[in-house]
Amino acid sequence: MLIASPAFAKKVRWKVAMTWSSTLTPLASPAPKLAKLVSDMTNGNFEIRVEGSEKHKAPLGILDMVKGGQYEMGHSASYYWKGKDVTMVFFTSVPFGMTAAEQYAWFYYGGGMELMKKNYDKFGVLSFPGGNTGVQMGGWFRKEIKTLDDLKGLKMRIPGLAGEVFAKLGVNVTNIPSGELYTSLDRGTIDALEWVGPGMDIKMGFHKIAPYYYAGWHEPASEMQFLINKKEYDKLPDDYKAILETAMKAVSADMYSENFDASATAWAQMKTEFPNIKVMTFPPEVLKAMKAASVEAYEAYAADNPAFKEVYESQKAYMAMAREWTKMSDYYYIQTSEMVE
Amino acid sequence: MLVRAEQIFNAINRIAGRILSVVLVLMVFNVFYDVIMRYFFHNSSVGMQEMEWHLFSVVILYGMSVALLDEGHVRVDFLYDRYRIKTKATINIIGTILFLLPLALLVFFGSLGFVRDAYEIKEISEDPGGLPFRWVIKGMIPLSFGFLIFSAIGYTIKNINLYRSDQGSDPELDRKFCGLGNQQDEGEGAK
Amino acid sequence: MTGIIMFFAALVMLTIGYPVAFTFGSVSIFFGIIAAVVELQSDATLILVSEEFFQMFSMMPFRIYTIMNNTILMAIPLFIYMGIILQKSDLAERLLEAMGALFGKIRGGVAVSTVLVGTLLAASTGVVGASVVAMGVISLPVMLKYGYSKRLSTGTICAAGTLGQIIPPSIVLIILGDVFQQPVGDLFQAAVWPGLALVVCYVIYILCVSFFNKDAAPPIPLDDDVTRSQNIKKALIAILPPLTLIVMVLGSIFAGIATPTESASVGSVGAMVLAAMYRKLSWRVIEESALETVKITAMVFAILIGATAFSMVFVYSGADYIVEDVLTNLPGQKWTFLLLSMAAIMLLGFFIDFIEISYIVVPILLPIVDIIGLNPLWFAILIAMNLQTSFLTPPFGFSLFYLKGVCPPEVRTTDLYRGVIPFIIIQALVLLSIVIFPEVYGFSQ
Ligand code: NA
Ligand code: NA
Repeated sequence: MLIASPAFAKKVRWKVAMTWSSTLTPLASPAPKLAKLVSDMTNGNFEIRVEGSEKHKAPLGILDMVKGGQYEMGHSASYYWKGKDVTMVFFTSVPFGMTAAEQYAWFYYGGGMELMKKNYDKFGVLSFPGGNTGVQMGGWFRKEIKTLDDLKGLKMRIPGLAGEVFAKLGVNVTNIPSGELYTSLDRGTIDALEWVGPGMDIKMGFHKIAPYYYAGWHEPASEMQFLINKKEYDKLPDDYKAILETAMKAVSADMYSENFDASATAWAQMKTEFPNIKVMTFPPEVLKAMKAASVEAYEAYAADNPAFKEVYESQKAYMAMAREWTKMSDYYYIQTSEMVE
Repeated sequence: MLVRAEQIFNAINRIAGRILSVVLVLMVFNVFYDVIMRYFFHNSSVGMQEMEWHLFSVVILYGMSVALLDEGHVRVDFLYDRYRIKTKATINIIGTILFLLPLALLVFFGSLGFVRDAYEIKEISEDPGGLPFRWVIKGMIPLSFGFLIFSAIGYTIKNINLYRSDQGSDPELDRKFCGLGNQQDEGEGAK
Repeated sequence: MTGIIMFFAALVMLTIGYPVAFTFGSVSIFFGIIAAVVELQSDATLILVSEEFFQMFSMMPFRIYTIMNNTILMAIPLFIYMGIILQKSDLAERLLEAMGALFGKIRGGVAVSTVLVGTLLAASTGVVGASVVAMGVISLPVMLKYGYSKRLSTGTICAAGTLGQIIPPSIVLIILGDVFQQPVGDLFQAAVWPGLALVVCYVIYILCVSFFNKDAAPPIPLDDDVTRSQNIKKALIAILPPLTLIVMVLGSIFAGIATPTESASVGSVGAMVLAAMYRKLSWRVIEESALETVKITAMVFAILIGATAFSMVFVYSGADYIVEDVLTNLPGQKWTFLLLSMAAIMLLGFFIDFIEISYIVVPILLPIVDIIGLNPLWFAILIAMNLQTSFLTPPFGFSLFYLKGVCPPEVRTTDLYRGVIPFIIIQALVLLSIVIFPEVYGFSQ
C-alpha cells in the first residue's frame, strides 16, 4: 500500500550533450553511465538521452546550449569557458594547482562547490563535478628541454592558461586543429604538444613520433563538469534531484578510476612497444620560471577581477593546507615503499 | 520600376562581391604569413591564426548571397534545363519564397540570442593572445543571413522581370539562364 | 521513419531544380515540424510543436559556428583559389597538355594526367570539396577542349578528386581513428596501398575506355613539324613550373613548414608567383580569381549548411535509432557480417554524410568485429573505402554537386551521374580485393 506505484511516478525525459564524441572514452563515459544509473534508480521513469559531439556538432557550445535550454544537461569542462569568464579555469585545473584528491576535498568540503555555483549562477546553469583525469602529462616533445633557452621559439600546441604561461616564456604557441596534430608533430611543423595522458594519448599515436614525454605541471587534476539548466532542474521532484546528484557523484568518481586504469595500462603497453620513450621532468630552472609566470598571470587576473581573486585565494589557501597532508600521506608512503624495493 | 530595382540589387551585389574578393585574398596571405612567421621567424601569433578563420567565415557566409544573384548555386538540372524561361522563373520565385526564405529567417532570428549571449558576457578568445569581441564574428551569422534575405528579395525581383520579359523562347536568355559556372564560356567555344 | 521519408522527399524536391543547398535546408524545415509532432505524440498542440521546432532549429547557429571555425575546411577556398589562378594563367592547361603529350599517341592521356594530379592533391589535403573543385577548374576545360566525352571527364575528376579521402592525410581516417580507437598514424599507413591500388585501377580503366571507345578520349594532336623527342622536351619544360608548385605544396607539409591546410596557402601564393613569372598576373586576374573562388566556396558551404540542417533533423527524428536496431542484429559469421555491414554502409552513404555514418554505424559494428576477431585496421580501411564511395553515389554524392558547381552549362547533372558509375564499380572491386586478399595490401589477419 505504501509503496509508490511506478504508474504514478513522474515521467521525465532529458537530453545531455557532451563536448566529446561518444567514443572518446574515458571522457565520454560518465554521461552514459549516469543515464543508465538514473534510469535504473527510477524504474525507467527518468530517461536521459546522451548525445556526443558527432550529433550536435557543437563541442564547445555546451554551456550556451544548456543555458538556452536546447539541452537540459551537458558534460564538459569549465576551462572551455575561459573566453566567457576566466574564473572558470579553477573548476577544471590550473598550472601548479591541486591534485585530484586535494581538489575533490576542496570541492566537497572546502567551499569549492559554493564558489562554483556562485560563478555559474549568472548563466542560469547548475554545475557538478563530472569526472577527473588526474595529473595530465606535460606533453610530447621532439627535443629535450635543458634550459630556458630551449623554450624560446619552441613551436608547441598548448591551449588555455598553460599556453599563456608558456607564451610568456617565449614559446611559440600554435593553434592546430586536433585532426592535423599527428601530421604536424610528425613533420616537425610543431615541436611539441600536450594532450592528456597515456590512456588517451596512445590513440593519437604521438609516442611513435616524439621521443620525450614530459611530466605534468599545467593540469594536475582536470575536473569535468555536469551542467544542468536551472529551470529544468527546479521542475524535478525532490527524489529525482537526489537520485541525479548521487548518480553524478558516483560516475565522476568512476571516471577517475577508469582513466587511471586506462593510463596505467596504456603506459605499460607504450613502454613495451617503444622502450626508447624517455619520461622527463622539466629542469628546475624551467619549472621555476613556469611557476613564476603562472603566479604572475594569476595575480594579474586577480588584480582586476574580484570573482577570480576570490576563487584563486580560496584554492591557494586550501592547497597550502592540504598539500602538507598529501606529502605526509601519499608522498612519503610512496618514498617509504620504494625504499624497500 | 522592378527593372530599376533589379539594377540596384545587382549593383549592391557587385560591391559585396568585390569586398569579399579582397577578404579572400587577405585570407590567403594571412595563412601564408602565419606559415612564414612560424617557420622562419619562430614567431606565431594566436590572434593572427584566429584572424584566418574570421576572414574565412566572412567569405563563406556573405558569399552565399553573392552566389545567389550570380547563379552560383548548384542545381540538379536534368529537368530544369528543359523548362521554358517562364517555368524556370516560376520555380525560382516559389523556391525562394518557400525554400530559401524560411531557412534564412529561421537562422536569422535563431542566431540573435547566440550573439547577444556572447555580447553580454564580453566573450573573448579562450587562447593566449587570441582575438577579443567574439560577438562580432558570431554576429556575422545573423548579419549574413539578413543579407541573404535581402538578396533573396533581389533574386525574386530578378525572376519576376525574367518572367515578364519572356516572349516565348529566347535562346540567348535561355543560355544565360542555364545558370552556373559562366566562367568557362571560353571552353565551350573551343569545342 | 521520418528520416526515410525525408530522404525521398528531398529527392523529389531536388529534381525540381531549385538550388540544392536551400532545398536541403527547407526539406529539413518541413520535416522538423513533422519530427516535432512525432516527438510530442499525444500532446502535440500548436504551441508545443512550434516550441519543439524552434528549439531544434536554434541549434543551427551552433552548427554554423562550428563550420566557421573549422580551420581544416579552410583548405577548400585555398585550393580553389590556387586552381583558378593556375587555370586563368594557362599554367594548368600547359601542365595537362604537356603530360598528355608525354603519353604521345596514347588515348586518354589528359584523363590519366588528371588522375595523377588528383593523387598529388590528395596527398596534400583530406577535404574532398577542395580537390574536386580544384580539379574541376584545372582539368575539365582542358579535357572538354580536346573533345573528351563529358562522362569520362567528369567521372574522372569526381573520382580523382575524392581520392583525398583515402590517401592520407584524410578527415575520414582521422574520424575512424577516433571511433576505432586506433592511432591515426597507423590508419594513414594502412591506407596508402589501397589508395594507390585505386589510382592504378582508375588509370587502367581510362586507358581501356579510351582504347575501345575512340571518341571518349582522343589523343592530343602533336606538333608534326618537330620530332617526338623535341615534343617530349617541350613537354618536360612545360611541366616543370606547375610541378614545382605541387612539390612546394607537398614539400611544405613533409618538411614541416606548414600543416596540410596551410600548405594550400603556399600553393596559392606559389601559383600567383608562377603566373607573375609568366607575365599572366594582373590585378584583374587576382580579383576575378578571387571573386570566382568566393562564389564557388560559398556554393560548397551553402550545401554544407543545408546538409547540416538535413542531418540535424534526420538524427532528431530518430532515424539513427532505426539504423542501430537493424545493425545490432547482424549475424556473427565473418563473411555474412562483412557482406551485410559493407552493404549497409554503402546504402547509408546514399542518405547521410560520412561523419554521421562513422559515428552511428561503426560503434555498433565494433563489438562484432571484436568477437569475430577481425583486424580493426583492415576493417577501418574497408569502411573508409566504402565511405569514399558515398561521395560519388548519386543522387546525394557531394563530389557530384561540387563538380557540377564549376561545370560549364552544357554538362548536365545526368552526365555526372552516368560518368561516375564506372568509377563506383571500380571502387567496389578494389574494396572486394582488399576483403579477399588482405595480405596483398599488407594486412595481417
Ligand atoms: Na590537456
Ligand atoms: Na588526402
